[in-house]
Amino acid sequence: MKLKTLAKVGSVTLVTALGLAACGSSNSSSESGSTKTLTWQESANLPTLDPSKATDNVSMRTLNNSNEGLLMVGNDNKVQPGVAKSYSVSKDGKTYTFNLRKSKWSDGSELTAKDFVYGIQRTANPKTASQYSYLLDHVKNYEAVSKKQMPVSSLGVKAEGNYKLVITLSKPQSYFKYIVAMSPLYPQSEKAVKKYGSAYGTKSADQVYNGPYKVTGWTGTNDSWTLTRNKDYYNNSKTKLDKVKFTVSKDAGTTLNQYQAGKFDVATLSGKQQVNNFKNSPQLHDLKQSSMWYLEMNQKSNPVLKNENIRKAISLAIDRKALTKDVLGDGSTPAKGLVPTGLASHDGKDFADAAEDSNETTNDVSYNLAEAKKYWAKGLKEVGKKSVSLGLLADDTPTATKNTEAIQSDLTKLPGLKITNQNLPFKTRLTNSQNGKFDLVLSGWNGDYPDPITFLDLFTSDNAYNNGHWKNAEYDKYVSDAEGKDANNAGKRWDDLVNAEKVLMDNAGIVPLYQPVLSQVRKDNVKGLEYSTTGPGFNFRDTYIK
Amino acid sequence: MVKYLSKRVFYLVLTLFIVTTVTFFMMKLMPGTPLTNQEKLSPSEIHTIYQQYGLDKPVWVQYLNYLGGAITGNFGTSFQFSDQPVSYLIFSRIGASLQLGIQAMVIGVLAGIVVGSIGAIKRNTWVDTTTTIISILGVSVPSFVLAVLLQNWFGLQLRWFPIAEWGGPSYTVLPTLALAALPFAETARFMRTEMIDVLSSDYIELAKAKGLGQTGIIYHHALRNSLIPIITIIGPLAVNIMTGSMVVENIFSIPGIGEQFVKSILTNDYPTIMGLTIMYSFMLCVVLLITDIVYGIIDPRIRITGKKG
Repeated sequence: MKLKTLAKVGSVTLVTALGLAACGSSNSSSESGSTKTLTWQESANLPTLDPSKATDNVSMRTLNNSNEGLLMVGNDNKVQPGVAKSYSVSKDGKTYTFNLRKSKWSDGSELTAKDFVYGIQRTANPKTASQYSYLLDHVKNYEAVSKKQMPVSSLGVKAEGNYKLVITLSKPQSYFKYIVAMSPLYPQSEKAVKKYGSAYGTKSADQVYNGPYKVTGWTGTNDSWTLTRNKDYYNNSKTKLDKVKFTVSKDAGTTLNQYQAGKFDVATLSGKQQVNNFKNSPQLHDLKQSSMWYLEMNQKSNPVLKNENIRKAISLAIDRKALTKDVLGDGSTPAKGLVPTGLASHDGKDFADAAEDSNETTNDVSYNLAEAKKYWAKGLKEVGKKSVSLGLLADDTPTATKNTEAIQSDLTKLPGLKITNQNLPFKTRLTNSQNGKFDLVLSGWNGDYPDPITFLDLFTSDNAYNNGHWKNAEYDKYVSDAEGKDANNAGKRWDDLVNAEKVLMDNAGIVPLYQPVLSQVRKDNVKGLEYSTTGPGFNFRDTYIK
Repeated sequence: MVKYLSKRVFYLVLTLFIVTTVTFFMMKLMPGTPLTNQEKLSPSEIHTIYQQYGLDKPVWVQYLNYLGGAITGNFGTSFQFSDQPVSYLIFSRIGASLQLGIQAMVIGVLAGIVVGSIGAIKRNTWVDTTTTIISILGVSVPSFVLAVLLQNWFGLQLRWFPIAEWGGPSYTVLPTLALAALPFAETARFMRTEMIDVLSSDYIELAKAKGLGQTGIIYHHALRNSLIPIITIIGPLAVNIMTGSMVVENIFSIPGIGEQFVKSILTNDYPTIMGLTIMYSFMLCVVLLITDIVYGIIDPRIRITGKKG
């Protein structure tokens, strides 16, 4: 009898499952047929909607479109007005005055300068435990506030009436205009923060919005959410899309299948093969990223790598063109220097071009094996060695593994050099980098804002990210001048930064390798998508479906 | 029965305690911290963040605090999902994983029993060869390969089922099939062998001599006795499904718990690692307990009280 029962239960389950499956098959229709809904693939979950706590791209992208800061960063990293319709900077570069437009929160309440004061103070408040609070390090009294030596109200942010906001800096910061466009400096409604308490920003319903869209359908842990038109947005009449539907798809093959089946209007490709499938298609967009991958050489614990000729030999022996074209093959481009192309420009000239040594033989990022061997021989003689063994540390991702194999193959062309690859999980690689447990390490950096300092700051002598411990007084001085005495003089500051990068390259302080791209496919009818290489990346304010 | 169950529950709690303790201290040996921008933050900011998550205290205090919280169902808040309670994270994502796992087990085991039995009854015929080949394929093809193939054929080419995501029941078909392949193949192989053994037993000969028809013999005698070893392999198969589901969930973009587990380890999300480890251990213990109980039900000779029959 029991066996009979078991068989019955099993059969019923089987039949029900198959029956339901058949019924549900019609459920797969996509919303992308609608002219005003954009379907967007995300490759990671949305961790938070709290502007003070966001540290990842997905949160920042969602926040950037559901909220608006004082200013916004649009195409080509150009600053556009946001809630602030205009702003002025004092002569000493320390006082920023923002004139706000009249705007509202999605709950209908008025948005005033006090909301910006509250939002910025909340980010700076140590109690909030914001991991991006360091963005405020130039704001007056930030350091004392972060150390709990002064109250948060002493921070250099004041509201003068409802529509004027004054931010005072402790020292000039020419790129502060980009900082105010980032989510940790967004306005925040004190009423909402108090109302939702610890749940604030943990679900779409536990947040208010002041941007073109409201977030809906996010339970805090699910894999899809929607940006829905915010009727209270001051520029709502110009917003073209009604909805942007985000769906998380982490597997590259699945993502491509979904895109081809019409489930996504926009998706990200991964790897050479996928990109090659769309090589001549207008749907493929190679979007430059403000990122750079480079080798750091441990100059603290490995005396061989202290030798400049050895370092130059390593840099010249790596064929970056082959690395990007044959190994990566996804549109990534060889590095010209540390600062990526398209990040910043001055007088119409891109920083990467301005700092690049155009001479093929003296350029330290060129591939020149003959020259590399000369430097290598000279360096070996100077350190008194005939052969050297170095470990190459990197992440264990498929891309990093392929990169290390290619670099290993290139470097072992230097006579007497043996390279041992060590591919470890991200956190372990990072810990080993920081603890100096490496000879060579493949590191990457994403720029926080479109200013060269976001990269050049990394290799000053005492910077926590300078894992190789390369030290150069001339370099430090250029960076310090750019951040200090020349901070208010755009021309001089530019020259300081260009010179700093030239010193870094000439001294082979690090070995820049390549600038990655975001290979994105978009249906032909998706128009008006704005992209900036730093921060949240995509802006849907002008996006429409033709 | 009550005594037996109490004993098993005690062992379950003891197992969970040991797993929690070992995982907690092993986790503390993992390199790195859960913070994203640790290097950019001042020591006082780092201290404040650590304080918020209780990481500023000595490890043994953290351990005791964790145990205290876990007993009351408080597994802390996730680092990946800012301010999100781990218990909520697990609760909101476990449904999809459980549904897939149960469907895959039921479908896989039932189909395996049917196919294995047919193979045994039609021993040494083309039917037997076919079922054997299918079961060998099921064991040898990894679930993630099968997942991609199913997705491509039935999702992209034929458009019978959705390629990925989680919606109505149709969304569960392909991932269920991908996960069911292993239990199906293992069950079919075991069932065939057991059934062949049973069919050559004396009591089957006796049943035949008594004039019982083939259907009756198979249904009333052979099938039941062949099922006992199948129950034994269900526990390990369930474990395989739990681990296999991590990859399959990723491939089919299922908002389950498996992939979160891997990510929590990679990001040093301590509370989530702990919460999920405890949950997986609990599920495993429960599966093993159920297996033992069902074992006794299927074969009354095996007394769960431990007394001689």
